[in-house]
Amino acid sequence: MSRASVVVVGSGAGGSVAAWELARTGHDVLVLEKGRNLLPGLGGRGSVGTLFSNDEVKQGRRFEVQDPLLEPRTRRSQAQARGGVTRAFVGEVNSLATVAGGGTVHWDAKVPRFWRQDFKGRSLLGPVPGANVADWPLEYEELEPYYDEVEKRLGVQGDRSAMPAATLAQAPRRHQFAMAPNPPMYGGLKLAAAAAQLGYQPYPYPMAVNSRRFDGRASCNSCGFCSGFGCPIHARGDAAVSFLHEAIRAGARLHTRCFVHRVDLARGGRRAVGVSYVDRSGARRKVRADLVVLAPSAIETARLLLLSRGPDHPEGLGNSSGMVGRNLMFHYFSVGAGVFTERAHSWRGPSTTFTLDDFVGPVTGAPARRAGLPYLKGGCCEVGGGTLLLEEADLYAGAGLRGSLLTASLRQLALRDHISGIQLNAEDMPQLANRVDLDPKIRDFRGFPVPRITHSQHHFELAAAAHFAPLVQEICASAAPTAETQVIGASLGAGSGGKAGPYSTAHIMGTARIGDDPRSSVADRFGRLHDVPNVVLADASVFVSSAGFNPTLTLMALALRAARNFAR
Amino acid sequence: MHTATRRAFVAGGALAVLGLVRAERVWALIDEVAHGGLPGGGGRFLSRQELIALRAVTARLVPGPPADPGPGALDVRAAEAIDLLLGAFELDPPLIHAGGPFSGRAGGSRDDFADFVRLDAQEELGWRMRLEGSRGLREREFAGPVLGLQEIYRLGLARLDEHARARTGGAFARATGATQDALLAATDPVVHRLVAAALTNTLEALCGPPEYGGNYQLAGWRGLNWRGDAEPIGYTAAQVSEPDPAVAGGAGAGAVLDSAVRGDVLAGISPSLARGRRAARRAGGRT
Repeated sequence: MSRASVVVVGSGAGGSVAAWELARTGHDVLVLEKGRNLLPGLGGRGSVGTLFSNDEVKQGRRFEVQDPLLEPRTRRSQAQARGGVTRAFVGEVNSLATVAGGGTVHWDAKVPRFWRQDFKGRSLLGPVPGANVADWPLEYEELEPYYDEVEKRLGVQGDRSAMPAATLAQAPRRHQFAMAPNPPMYGGLKLAAAAAQLGYQPYPYPMAVNSRRFDGRASCNSCGFCSGFGCPIHARGDAAVSFLHEAIRAGARLHTRCFVHRVDLARGGRRAVGVSYVDRSGARRKVRADLVVLAPSAIETARLLLLSRGPDHPEGLGNSSGMVGRNLMFHYFSVGAGVFTERAHSWRGPSTTFTLDDFVGPVTGAPARRAGLPYLKGGCCEVGGGTLLLEEADLYAGAGLRGSLLTASLRQLALRDHISGIQLNAEDMPQLANRVDLDPKIRDFRGFPVPRITHSQHHFELAAAAHFAPLVQEICASAAPTAETQVIGASLGAGSGGKAGPYSTAHIMGTARIGDDPRSSVADRFGRLHDVPNVVLADASVFVSSAGFNPTLTLMALALRAARNFAR
Repeated sequence: MHTATRRAFVAGGALAVLGLVRAERVWALIDEVAHGGLPGGGGRFLSRQELIALRAVTARLVPGPPADPGPGALDVRAAEAIDLLLGAFELDPPLIHAGGPFSGRAGGSRDDFADFVRLDAQEELGWRMRLEGSRGLREREFAGPVLGLQEIYRLGLARLDEHARARTGGAFARATGATQDALLAATDPVVHRLVAAALTNTLEALCGPPEYGGNYQLAGWRGLNWRGDAEPIGYTAAQVSEPDPAVAGGAGAGAVLDSAVRGDVLAGISPSLARGRRAARRAGGRT
């Protein structure tokens, strides 16, 4: 097709992939990013630099995360919403990194694929009462080549020969990984051995971490400041270094500190003509485009569509179905922890090096019947994580330790060197009442309504945790038989004051699901809004289910597929 | 406010070093305050009396020698580091976000940490709100009033002294340790806010990189057996995949953990081990 002008909103996982595909196929691409660029040299002729470092203070001071004083979000539960509570909390709710490269600048780059069954939950497993379960309008096989292509650019380590047959049957992969696994973390080794003894099948976690020099970037040296930290040596593949850098070199332009607040439409409201935004000086601007790609993250995409309401779309852009903002999904985490007598130093390494898929499910029969559900599903496990020093200190302080007990705990290196944990990333059911809408009163510093998150766990997640968490605990207890284990399961879902549990996860999905039926979905199988087809969604807002796997690889594969559909 | 103090600091030339400050130079700034070298004997934000009270507060939260092996808040100069944060905008650039990628402590020859990242206009607005509060300014109260850290510390320290005088007839810093602990545990929300902020900031000074002014002479990391930032050297495969040797002289380290740690701590901390746990220390809403 002829050279089109494209504006991409957001430079994170989806936006960077879309910009890369569209720029290299000759389109005129402008990327508008709300945050800063903390990667000197991004898009230049040389290698990409970084201002990130092994610095827990800088991380705690939101170096790369949006400031909740300037851009707060609000939150409440479903019960509070029914009771007329407008908001229960104002502040930091599900923040992601808000910089060039988005959340992937500080991800730990775990990249499992979704399974075949995740795309066809409704037809394979049937409905779940009170949940809005549906099939995706595509199958695993349609996404597989895009998984391959994204992995190839990111540079992914793993070992196909060690993967369980069930995993390969559900998520077939034709090729061995580009790189061998990193040195396994000691705590993970112990837990993986215990899991294997119990009959489970742990294997090296597929991750976009270099175990050798790759694409001009360094090999990971296991510094330990991984999940939640920008990599100081670019040993992780990510949206910025693997896609955005090349997109800019292919001609895309990146404008930072530009907040898009409206998609502008032609008369009649069936075609977008560009976007309106506020630039770094606070000036209001417009830019015209033939195609508008939205990828500011699931929460912000819903917000932008709702902010774009007008005479032709009184309930929000693309919202003739009433589905914009609904079906918001997070993952539901259960964590077990084993205390080792030896110094297991589980803070050293790329967060975790093992995973296991034995708790993905579905589990039917008696456990499901007892819970009053047709089936139970969990998810993949991150095996062998730990804590850094300031994080350890904060955890003690959060547990109420002060004075000599606090200093004694720190000196004993209890959490840092002796604990190793397993985290179960479990599926969160889509619910109509779990949603993003616009807070009726609270504004951000630019004067725009902030997103309001209404979310409560479905009985499904709590029942699944009750079933799977003891199995996680059993592995921990088996690996460290002389020590206590703790499994948190359902406690995460309880009112945690915004400090833990589902509200702090970076796994944010749904809010503008794709589907073939415009009455029940926001966008089509290629992410095009049913109502305004030259607006394409390229982030996790399009997810129909959350599955039990880290979502970013799937998000990127979907973004590439959507962009290529247009580019072709 | 201590305008004269700040002017004196600026005129004294200390700012000149801050284009590229090494940790030692930040410690020199800290020393100035610790030794009462600034006019009035106070800090860059806190008065002399407030600093004395804050040192006492931090020393109860994170004690050190002689009562406790430490390292303690006084060893790492936590109160002075907190004062540096509260007065951040007296320096250019403010010491909010250290640079990267390397400090030079784990290989490499440069201290990039010392080259602090300049805040842009948006970040400056956020940090002025965080430190100074909204002060009734329309551009800061778009979502309601914000109580800044400066006020949290100033009001909290004053309230502690009030409570101490009512109970003992003297200032908080002169009370016994047991009395101080009781005063810090008061249900008074003004004191509660102070303690929460002081605990967070003291732990930063104990455990964080020295470029922020705490971890004086690396006393925090040395005492807690922590290497700190590890790039660009990182760790070898053996260091990742094998257990570490026991720490010589470390009480309990490398051996069976103290039962108090096991029993009291683990039950409390496990929920926070979930993904997003790091968000916990950033969490918090408007006051």
